[in-house]
Amino acid sequence: MGAVQGANQGMDMLLRLIDATELRAKVLYANIANQNTPGYTRSDVKFEEHLRDAVRKGPSAVQTVEPEIALDTVSPSRPDGNNVTLELELNAMRENRLLYESYASILEGHFNLMRAAITEGR
Amino acid sequence: MSGIENLFSGMRTSASGLTAERTRIDVIAENIANARTTRTPEGGPYRRKVVMFEPVLRENMAGESTSFGVGVSRVVPDMESAFERVLDPGNPDAGPDGFVEYPNVNTVLEMADLITAMRAYEANLTAQENFVRMAERALELAR
Repeated sequence: MGAVQGANQGMDMLLRLIDATELRAKVLYANIANQNTPGYTRSDVKFEEHLRDAVRKGPSAVQTVEPEIALDTVSPSRPDGNNVTLELELNAMRENRLLYESYASILEGHFNLMRAAITEGR
Repeated sequence: MSGIENLFSGMRTSASGLTAERTRIDVIAENIANARTTRTPEGGPYRRKVVMFEPVLRENMAGESTSFGVGVSRVVPDMESAFERVLDPGNPDAGPDGFVEYPNVNTVLEMADLITAMRAYEANLTAQENFVRMAERALELAR
């Protein structure tokens, strides 16, 4: 495997992690918007745990792993049937953003390396 | 839905939350303003109004519906709680028994509702700011 091909695979994984965190951000915004909707059940995005299982199975499983929007039926509901806790949603949202920024930084590092490789020797 | 159309959907989700909470704040303000209104076009004292929320659902490719925001489904009058009855025979709106019926608005309750609505409004603003920061970070990659 060449260096560029290897770099592309790493970038592909990063882009998918970024996609998953973007999707999670959207789902968390919907939870926050529905914090006062009676009977609303919060959702979350599962990707990292699916990825972890896929890594154990092998490279072909890693290629096909997709983020999943899952209803959270575990969190306790309020008397009106809504199970959104605003503080937890905001916390998850900030955590998700930090993840997103770290992925973006690593991706930026990849880009910089490629740029150096391209412009080197000019 | 894909491409550029999808790009700002997170922002629109928070915007729907802002609109819904704003409607709730407006209705609470109307209730408080009419807390002593004894005469309405429909007859009788003012009846407090309640805002009902519902999630805005959208189906994904697998056919499962997930929430992409919130909307006001209805604004309904509160028929459950009783009017306040005050003995005041001199009032023009007093009934034959001398009692005046005042609206079923409990100002303390409305204020408590107002605070939760304002907090929810702020939370949606925070979510929107979060979206903007993430989008800016993505744009930085292109520099």
